[in-house]
Amino acid sequence: MSVTDPQPPAPDAARTDAAREALHDRIAADSLTTRRDYLRIVATVSGGLAVGGVAVASGILQRHGDPDGLPAIKKIADRIEPGESLAFRYPGDEDRAIAVRMDDGTLAGYSAVCTHLACAVLWRRDRGSEGELYCPCHEGVFDARTGEVTAGPPPRGLPKVILIEQVDGSVWAIGTARSGESLQEGYCRQRGEGSPLCTRLEGGATERSEGA
Amino acid sequence: MTDVNRPVHRRYPQIRATSGYGDPRIRHTGPGPGAGAEQEPERSSKLSARLALALTVVIGQLWGLTVVVDEWMSGNTGTAWWGAGFLVLSFLVVLGLWVIDPKDR
Repeated sequence: MSVTDPQPPAPDAARTDAAREALHDRIAADSLTTRRDYLRIVATVSGGLAVGGVAVASGILQRHGDPDGLPAIKKIADRIEPGESLAFRYPGDEDRAIAVRMDDGTLAGYSAVCTHLACAVLWRRDRGSEGELYCPCHEGVFDARTGEVTAGPPPRGLPKVILIEQVDGSVWAIGTARSGESLQEGYCRQRGEGSPLCTRLEGGATERSEGA
Repeated sequence: MTDVNRPVHRRYPQIRATSGYGDPRIRHTGPGPGAGAEQEPERSSKLSARLALALTVVIGQLWGLTVVVDEWMSGNTGTAWWGAGFLVLSFLVVLGLWVIDPKDR
């Protein structure tokens, strides 16, 4: 009799079959992935990350609040009272932005897209000493004067919207600045160094224009 | 009785107690005294080290990708490209760890 010949059935065949099936299941459950297979998987993941990095550097991601070309000059409100905020779209129709007038009269504009996971950023006057820009999704908090992150998971400050206020109180959006970029840098990058407002924007969150 | 865990001499009755390496039917010794121990510890540890190094590099790549995204979003395109170069170099390192010994297992 060869070892490959079928064995004669035993009296307790049902129990034996169950045990054999259990053994087969246990062997089948053993991982057949070798360390070399893991190495191949890790190399594939590594290649994917490298491709992703090159794609990001190439510009596959859209910067929130950053226009493709020269942003238009847009009137966003006739007046914004102290403590109030205004949601608007700038520079494009899909770019959510928020303008805030603080109690001391300071006017500031930011992209309303949180830099963490792109939730909407809200103006909360009751938070902090003078109000905060607050993302309710993951408790992200931004400084209302600078747009920088003061708490929570956002990795960088909010992109800015450059606002000017006319003598009649109307508020206009005239450009944008990226995260970590000053208003002057953003305006001069978009409008050119020779622009008349380029040097006047230095150091101020907004510009109160005397002319039209 | 056909218990699956029956002794070897009952599972393979044609293999005698005197069978061993001289038996041409036996190509692999199979489980026995010392079964489960590493037979080539140096080769095995080198493979484990390669895998550990590759995993470490990939973790560094994950960090690098967050930096690249952050820099790109902040408008620092040049820094983002340096980060992308770092990611590509890291991939080449992992690729080297992978192809350094194709016959290993």
